[in-house]
Amino acid sequence: MEQLRTLTALVDYAKKIGAEKGPRKVAIALAEDPGVLEAIEVARKEGFAFGILVGNGDKIKEAADKAGVDLSNYEVIDERRGEAQVGMTAVQLVSSGKADIFMKGMIHTNNFLRALLNKEVGLRTGKTISHCYFHEVKGYDRIFFISDAAFNMYPDLKTKADILSNTVGLARSFGVECPKAAVLAAVEVVNPDMPATLDAAAITQMQRRGQIKNCLVDGPFALDNAVSEESAKHKGIVSEVAGKADILLVPNIDAGNMMVKALVYFSENKTAGLILGASAPVVLTSRSDTIEAKTLSIAAAVALSVYKG
Amino acid sequence: MQLKNLDFLIEKCKSAPRMTVAVACPQGDDILEAVVDAEREGIVTPVLVGNRRKTQLIADSLGLDLSRLAFLDETDDALAAEKAVRMVSSGEAQLLMKGNVKTAILLKAVLNKEWGLRSGSLLSHLFLFQVPRMPGVLGMSDGGMAMYPDLPTKAGIVENAVAAYHRIGVACPKIAVLAAVEVVNPDMQATLDAAALTQMNRRGQIRGCIIDGPLALDNAVSPEAARIKGIDSPVAGDADMLLVPNIEAGNFVGKVMMYMSGGKGAGVILGARKPIVLTSRFDNAETKLLSIAFGAVLAMS
Repeated sequence: MEQLRTLTALVDYAKKIGAEKGPRKVAIALAEDPGVLEAIEVARKEGFAFGILVGNGDKIKEAADKAGVDLSNYEVIDERRGEAQVGMTAVQLVSSGKADIFMKGMIHTNNFLRALLNKEVGLRTGKTISHCYFHEVKGYDRIFFISDAAFNMYPDLKTKADILSNTVGLARSFGVECPKAAVLAAVEVVNPDMPATLDAAAITQMQRRGQIKNCLVDGPFALDNAVSEESAKHKGIVSEVAGKADILLVPNIDAGNMMVKALVYFSENKTAGLILGASAPVVLTSRSDTIEAKTLSIAAAVALSVYKG
Repeated sequence: MQLKNLDFLIEKCKSAPRMTVAVACPQGDDILEAVVDAEREGIVTPVLVGNRRKTQLIADSLGLDLSRLAFLDETDDALAAEKAVRMVSSGEAQLLMKGNVKTAILLKAVLNKEWGLRSGSLLSHLFLFQVPRMPGVLGMSDGGMAMYPDLPTKAGIVENAVAAYHRIGVACPKIAVLAAVEVVNPDMQATLDAAALTQMNRRGQIRGCIIDGPLALDNAVSPEAARIKGIDSPVAGDADMLLVPNIEAGNFVGKVMMYMSGGKGAGVILGARKPIVLTSRFDNAETKLLSIAFGAVLAMS
């Protein structure tokens, strides 16, 4: 497939998947949220998603009316045994193969994750679960994948390697055949007093030794020399990744969160996110996300759902 | 391996003006033999600084002729070390050699702030090995000056070695950072340090060489082993120098080469303002001669 360079191209790709293979089924836990319903309605109209709405049927009806969504286009599973059970019922649809994508609705994040990680009906694979934000930023010719700015707070080296592998999978599902990953730190040199730079060096060598596959890794990088060839040149960095990074691996949640928010609020961008590392794509959006962001997350989940590795 | 054998050290000494070596405490039979040998071969001009009476007794029992050697009589070991070091720091001699004196005493003199040989670099030991089965000369550092070096210390050890390689004509030595495995393992510090050193090199923090690691010894020296493991590296299978992670590993590797593989070698302490030749009692005569020559070549400006 051709590399997706914009999020518009992502939506087009999701539509193509919908047209060729039929809409992907999205099990939504506690779908009593007008915002989530609006997003899945957009995805339905574009032809790439079909929502299976789990929760209190009356409340789902209420939310659908508010969002102007006609429920006759959906499957509704009336589940009133409490949030925890709603999560289990929804996730089981995915683990049993009745749905392709697991999505969070109004359910509390804790209950959603508990269902996701449930040993019997959840979507565990033994791999690290991680989060990836993907961004289209004005002035850049490619999508940036930023991990992990949401899920793993202070990952150790091994966890960082797992996060990277998950993110490489997402990038590849977007047609980036051999994504270039920059391991970020505050500086581009190795400093024994800055663990992020030491981990970056280790991950770089892990890739070079074949311990991390299907990508090209280099680090440490400061953000500027990861995304700007000019800046990399200025610093005299010789690297195939410098200035050309697709993936930005952040050292911790604080740095990652601030970076993502700076992008969202300061740059002209489109941003969405996805949970990776489960046996199926997982959409976890925040109530403050725009309908567009939620739709983009669903589109990414659709792309990932057909990715074969 | 860019150096094919160690003979060039001897040839260089013979063809260049002789360096003067200050030998601290020459009163040991192995030391004295090596020094007299080096003088006779035209490698260096020794100045013996130590217990003259004891030295003469040893020379007589071994049938060595000391008449051509300068001697500074000093019966106290610490003072002899001081005088030998002062000779080097004043420029009267160009290199120092450890004789029959405790290493700690000699290093205390070397590190003296007023008249010692401190340069600001750490001290490290570089040993060059020539083993019949290997197609060239393989260096190893650190040979035991830093027992359990941390990352900055390892970087310092590499820098010392690189400067020495440049002086013996190897413009860009390939340095393999050894560990027990060639993959990064978060539970094995040596592999983490190796990865860090590799990236320090790639970022220009350590220059004048190519570093790669972690490498296991086999894939550092054998192109075949590197190929089988699928390691894509300019250093793998072609290392000029092995950076060992700690004193035990270095000690075992060195001893296998010297005692079990019919090797010879040349070892010098680096990082002081002038080279310091340190031989072991158990080094063979050729190794002692080569060590003195190595020090002398490094001392040439």
